[in-house]
Amino acid sequence: MADADIDCRGLKCPEPVLKTRKALAEGAGNFTVLVDNETARDNVSRFARTSGCRVEVSDTDGGFLIAITPAAGNAECSGDEVPIGCDSVTGTVIFISSDEIGTGEHELGATLMKSFIYAAAEADDSLSTMIFMNSGVRLVTEKDETVANLSRIADRGVDILVCGTCLDYYGLTERLKVGRVSNMYEIQSALISAPKLVCI
Amino acid sequence: MGPGDLEKILSAIPEESAPELLSSLRTGEDAGVYQISKGLAIVQTVDFFPPIVDDPYTFGQITAANALSDVYAMGGRPITALNIVAFPCGIDLQVLEKILLGGHDKIHEAGAVIVGGHTIDDDELKYGLAVTGLVDPAKMTTITGARPGDVLVLTKPIGTGILATALKAGLLTEEEMGEAVASMRALNREAADTLNRYRVNACTDVTGFGLVGHLYEMANAGGISAELWAGDVPLFERTLEMASMGMVPEGKKRNFEYAKNVDLRTKKEDALILECLYDPQTSGGLLASVESSDADSALEELRVGPCPRAAVVGTVSEGPGGAIIIIHGRSG
Repeated sequence: MADADIDCRGLKCPEPVLKTRKALAEGAGNFTVLVDNETARDNVSRFARTSGCRVEVSDTDGGFLIAITPAAGNAECSGDEVPIGCDSVTGTVIFISSDEIGTGEHELGATLMKSFIYAAAEADDSLSTMIFMNSGVRLVTEKDETVANLSRIADRGVDILVCGTCLDYYGLTERLKVGRVSNMYEIQSALISAPKLVCI
Repeated sequence: MGPGDLEKILSAIPEESAPELLSSLRTGEDAGVYQISKGLAIVQTVDFFPPIVDDPYTFGQITAANALSDVYAMGGRPITALNIVAFPCGIDLQVLEKILLGGHDKIHEAGAVIVGGHTIDDDELKYGLAVTGLVDPAKMTTITGARPGDVLVLTKPIGTGILATALKAGLLTEEEMGEAVASMRALNREAADTLNRYRVNACTDVTGFGLVGHLYEMANAGGISAELWAGDVPLFERTLEMASMGMVPEGKKRNFEYAKNVDLRTKKEDALILECLYDPQTSGGLLASVESSDADSALEELRVGPCPRAAVVGTVSEGPGGAIIIIHGRSG
């Protein structure tokens, strides 16, 4: 029997995921989780990957041993993309949940959004984070013009968070050109902790 | 219990046969149908489970809507219901009162009456109902009868199992799963009424065996094969996100193993959607096999009426019976 840091044998879903999540939130380094069924194996692995961790699964005689390596360079938050309880946002946060601005003619909405991103790239302000959700993820994947301007913004050190679920939903995961994949925990935390939040 | 185990056990029990018995346990029919006179049969069904939401009144409503659903799936009209309650000592009796009130209100919304019930002590709270309905055997819709060329229509989105798991884990509040809660407590009556105005060759409700599990039963019972379009299946808000957070309930695996004859031709990015397609549902929508020439009008009427998120999710083709192909979307 392999030694594991967290023994989740005999626990029903979602308990194994919650124990893994707690370990990440508490800043654990590399750790292992032992589970005794395939559902728990799949759920814990998927949760850890969604949270930005590296995951390796091996069979043991008592079930499956899941080795989790939290993303590097974030000792405090450890889980990196699960910064539960970490107030990381210091400047303005812009939240974009559509690929156009306002409701009306789509063509106009898309043009306005393009201009807004251009203006944001030209401005030099306290912007610290941009968040892209729902059809907003098109702006960081398939729309070349906004991708170019957002790259300029990213070069200034602005953190660009892109909703992984949304990329997945639109089949754009492989086409992310600027920013990094994030999840609802990090996004929720950024929105809540933002000193100034702008929703487009 | 998983569908595979259930099938195994039932195969060991002698099959019922009576001239009045119009349904069969073997085909995975939603409810038992027993003819009592010419043009009239009773439809009987029972369902109970532990709480899936925190609010007791809502839980009562959802449970009743779920129990009634089997009657609607067969084109019947519910008339009476019996409560089934397992209740632990020490829980505030007001909780039970609210659950029963939720059940009562939903049964009355359906035009039926509660005629009694039974209560036992148990470690875990459970509530359910046995429902009786009436149906004209000539107009009954069953799980058998899907025909090659039919279009598969689903009336409610998928994802209640994943969302209920996330609720249990504290990743979601009941308000945040509001769309799914509203859907679970909604009767399938109007959906069934709408569908019954069109040529529906087979119908079932999507519950514990998941969308694929119930489609598999329909395909088996009808001796046909089916194509399911993963990307076209409507999902409740936040279902994919919660699946990506590892909130898939254990029933998914049982459902996955049950539907043996499935050919997965999906794309890599469909992995999360697939989890949802096997997700056990509570008070899910109707899955109807509709004549293709009627499908557009039926869908339109469902969408502007009781089921705004109804969708065409696949097609039916010639045997082999029970074979299912899951592809990325309508266009391949």
